[in-house]
Amino acid sequence: MENEIDQIFNRFPNRQREDLIPIMQAIQDVKGYLSEEIIARVGDYLEISVNKIYGVATFYDNFRFGPVGRYHFRLCHGTACHVAGANTLLKELEKLLKIRDGETDKAGLFSLEVVSCVGACGLAPLIEVNEHYHTNITMESLKELVRTLRDKENNTYER
Amino acid sequence: MDFQIEVNNKLISVNEGETLLVALRNNGFKIPTLCHMNRFAPTGACRLCVVEVEGKRDLITSCSYPAEKGMKVKTNSQRVMRARKSLVELLLSNHPDDCLYCQRNGNCELQWLAAEMNIKERKYFGAKNQQYPDYSSTSVARDPAKCVLCSRCVRICEEVQLVTAIDFISRGNQTTVNSAFEKGLNQSSCIHCGQCIQVCPTAALFDISHVEKVQAALQRKDKKVIFFISPSVIASTIQSTDLKPRNLVAGRLASALKRSGAFKVFDLGAASDIHILEEAEQLVDMLGNKSEKPFPLISSCCPSWQKYVEMYRPDTLRQLATIKSPQHIMGSMLKTMYADEAGIDVEQMYTVAVMPCLAKKHEASLDENTHKGLSEVDAVLTVRELFQLLKSFGLNLEQMEEDILDIPFDNSSAAACKLGYSGGKAEAVAAEVYRLMHNDTLENFKFVQPKSATAKKETKVQIGKKMVGFAWVSSIQEAEKYLTALKEEERNDIHYLEVMACPEGCAGGGGQPISRGFTSVHARKKICLDLEKTKDFSFPNQNPLIKTESQNKLPDRMRIPYKNWYVKTFNEK
Repeated sequence: MENEIDQIFNRFPNRQREDLIPIMQAIQDVKGYLSEEIIARVGDYLEISVNKIYGVATFYDNFRFGPVGRYHFRLCHGTACHVAGANTLLKELEKLLKIRDGETDKAGLFSLEVVSCVGACGLAPLIEVNEHYHTNITMESLKELVRTLRDKENNTYER
Repeated sequence: MDFQIEVNNKLISVNEGETLLVALRNNGFKIPTLCHMNRFAPTGACRLCVVEVEGKRDLITSCSYPAEKGMKVKTNSQRVMRARKSLVELLLSNHPDDCLYCQRNGNCELQWLAAEMNIKERKYFGAKNQQYPDYSSTSVARDPAKCVLCSRCVRICEEVQLVTAIDFISRGNQTTVNSAFEKGLNQSSCIHCGQCIQVCPTAALFDISHVEKVQAALQRKDKKVIFFISPSVIASTIQSTDLKPRNLVAGRLASALKRSGAFKVFDLGAASDIHILEEAEQLVDMLGNKSEKPFPLISSCCPSWQKYVEMYRPDTLRQLATIKSPQHIMGSMLKTMYADEAGIDVEQMYTVAVMPCLAKKHEASLDENTHKGLSEVDAVLTVRELFQLLKSFGLNLEQMEEDILDIPFDNSSAAACKLGYSGGKAEAVAAEVYRLMHNDTLENFKFVQPKSATAKKETKVQIGKKMVGFAWVSSIQEAEKYLTALKEEERNDIHYLEVMACPEGCAGGGGQPISRGFTSVHARKKICLDLEKTKDFSFPNQNPLIKTESQNKLPDRMRIPYKNWYVKTFNEK
């Protein structure tokens, strides 16, 4: 039986070096991140050293090497958000989620990533959670947001 | 086509197609570089080679710019000097400044640059990147804090050795040279060749040192430390110290090591003799259709090549000669036969190999090279470490008396010296095969060297009724290219292939003194060739140590059996 990785490989039958980044993007779309095993498989497929692939993947901020949480926070750190206080928000968010930039908490609930401008500067500062934008964030609304998500999660377990 | 350019108000002639850097250096202009390597494509990464060209707005990197007709170049203008100085100051701003504690103190290109640029104070202050050294490998250690990101190690690892064990990780000021998933070199595809150390301008890459281990063993009363020295180490000692007469340098080394507390000092060449004999026997068996092995027989004495085949080319595993490498023939002889003969408790014996090679450290650490739970070789010193050891004991080779090496392993054939450079081993094996098939020796036998550097390094020898093909390659890239070509062209006229993982063989080995280009590598090869002439006998079978069928009577000296004694098997990894 073909699995999803093989299906992705089948889309790139020429096995060229330049297929590397599209393949990794496709895999990340499906799997959420690039694991060591998957990088090794890509290496086998394209006949590129695992180290080379890891070098390329770490060059770009897009690629992740660990799973993201159920709620993936992307804090915008573009110029407008920076001016609107993104740094303070980041510190607060790190405290609230008890994780640092680029980390996922042990329960697999939250993960945090600082990203460059997401192109909604008029609504700064903003945080994207699972591709849903929360705009004009204040300290209060940030706390509220995290609390709502936590409650939602706790209720799910109680039920 | 030649043309002229003007440099610092002086006309110099330039060959068409040369880069500016090459043209300038050929004419005696000193241009500093960190990232430039001969025979590699220029990257322009370090930017130290900048020069000012009239009519150009910016300074240009001479390493990546072709010389053009009528150029007016300034290599020492105020603007150039200031730019270079700033570059070095910026490199230093992220450097730990611990030269006093650095193994490359006095032999470091960054240190030289700082001196050349007349840098007297730290100009840029700021946070340094927090980086941790990696001592996980058995042979190569890394200290990324000292790395200047010149990319020389990355390129030699990828382009010459084809393993890409290290590469740039991350981006911008976070960039480091590291192995995959930042896991440490012991979990990477590293083949321990040590070429990265040879090209590193600083001490970002260095050997896992066994010097302290050996020093400690030398101090212990319950240890009998036995050194055995490879003939190519003697060649590089001669090259570094220029001692004369050359044939007695081994003796001087022996007396120096004795003074530092060695129990015995042996010549590894004796084991090389056995190795060559065994390999020739295997080839004779194959030529006589007594073996199932497919041609060509591939040499396996190079541990880097061994590891490469085990990891990347399992299809050629069957073709490797199934013999222990000279180092482990020696190690196992010492810990078995010699220990019995001399009445030494093996637990007390401490064997130290002195090698031009880093991968030997890895080889010595392998499980398959142990005997009843004891390593056959307890420590491996590279040439650099040998000099370090002698220095730390305050021993100057020039003042040493010319001792002789210890009996029984005191002498070796000229063939053993041939293992020191690429092509030599194939030559020795060819001569030996000839002797075994014809019962006659080939005096002064030498391979015809290919005329051009790009020509295939192979030759044919009439042995018996057959034309036997011998080929030799050095560096993994050459080996891979040659094996692929053999397969594609479906050739069956090559019967023996010698592979050395380091360019130019052991003369360019990873454990040699830092070479900086091929000049000193070629000098070492030449010394090996000269040393061959000083040997008492030319062929391995003439070594009085080795017991051949015709000499079954045991003489007073210990004799060593050979033929299927040092069999080694290889497994896919």
